[in-house]
Amino acid sequence: PIMRTKKWAVERTRTIQGLVDFIKKFLKLMASEQLFIYVNQSFAPSPDQEVGTLYECFGSDGKLVLHYCKTQAWG
Amino acid sequence: VSRSMAREEDFFLEEKRFKQCCEDFVKHSQQIGDGWEWRTSKDLGDGYLSKIHFQVRNRNIPPDLKEKNSDNTEQTLFAHVEEPLDDSQAAGVCSTEEVVRYEYHVLYSSSYQVPVLYFRACFLDGRPLTLDEIWGSVHASYQARLQEGPWDTITQQEHPILGQPFFVLHPCRTHEFISAVLGGSREHHRHTNYIILWLSTVGPVVGLNLPLSYAKLAHEQSANADSG
Repeated sequence: PIMRTKKWAVERTRTIQGLVDFIKKFLKLMASEQLFIYVNQSFAPSPDQEVGTLYECFGSDGKLVLHYCKTQAWG
Repeated sequence: VSRSMAREEDFFLEEKRFKQCCEDFVKHSQQIGDGWEWRTSKDLGDGYLSKIHFQVRNRNIPPDLKEKNSDNTEQTLFAHVEEPLDDSQAAGVCSTEEVVRYEYHVLYSSSYQVPVLYFRACFLDGRPLTLDEIWGSVHASYQARLQEGPWDTITQQEHPILGQPFFVLHPCRTHEFISAVLGGSREHHRHTNYIILWLSTVGPVVGLNLPLSYAKLAHEQSANADSG
């Protein structure tokens, strides 16, 4: 799996799960491929977590950096 | 064409580092009252992380899961009622609550050089939950991940220290996946708490969630890092 970063404007109330769904469509992932999102490249927030809260804790200058990592379709 | 990553050994977790990450993890858990502790075995000198928590569960299946359970024989437990219930009826008719005791252990695998998650759950009368029953309480968004994710299988094995049966998330894909998350950034990787990174990824699939507060610990700027 390869990680890349891109820039998107996102409302504060968008959840991690919402982001995952969006990116999966954007990347045209297959149903069996999974996407994981990380803050600080070191912690996977729960799917209910609001992006706004993450920004307050870990963002600055109007930006929150998140990394995503997708898995291959196993078996 | 071969593209070599940073030396793959860099992303293996040495036992010493495992213990250090666990120690930092437990300290943070104590600060926030998250219930993790480090246990040692007198005979073996090995240690592991342990957490027990109790959860009250409804016996309803939440709406997201109802498609999955069409074959289930325990029809009476499901809130598949034909006419809509108002709130006062719903509370009494559809849900019985029960308390479940969940137990999670993080052990070190020297053969795979990664941490391994052992877990089990039982009702208060001691009856163990099946894997399906445990998965029933997992957040809906993780349901799809149960089959596909950075774990090969979930099996039931004897706990290496306690000798009792636990479910185990097989570790053979852990290294590959964690290496991908850490990417080529070896400098960053040195400061990452491997346990927090790994557990925040795999834990939720089996009902174990780490509060966001761990994210602050997950990546410490060490005193030796470049200033700025």
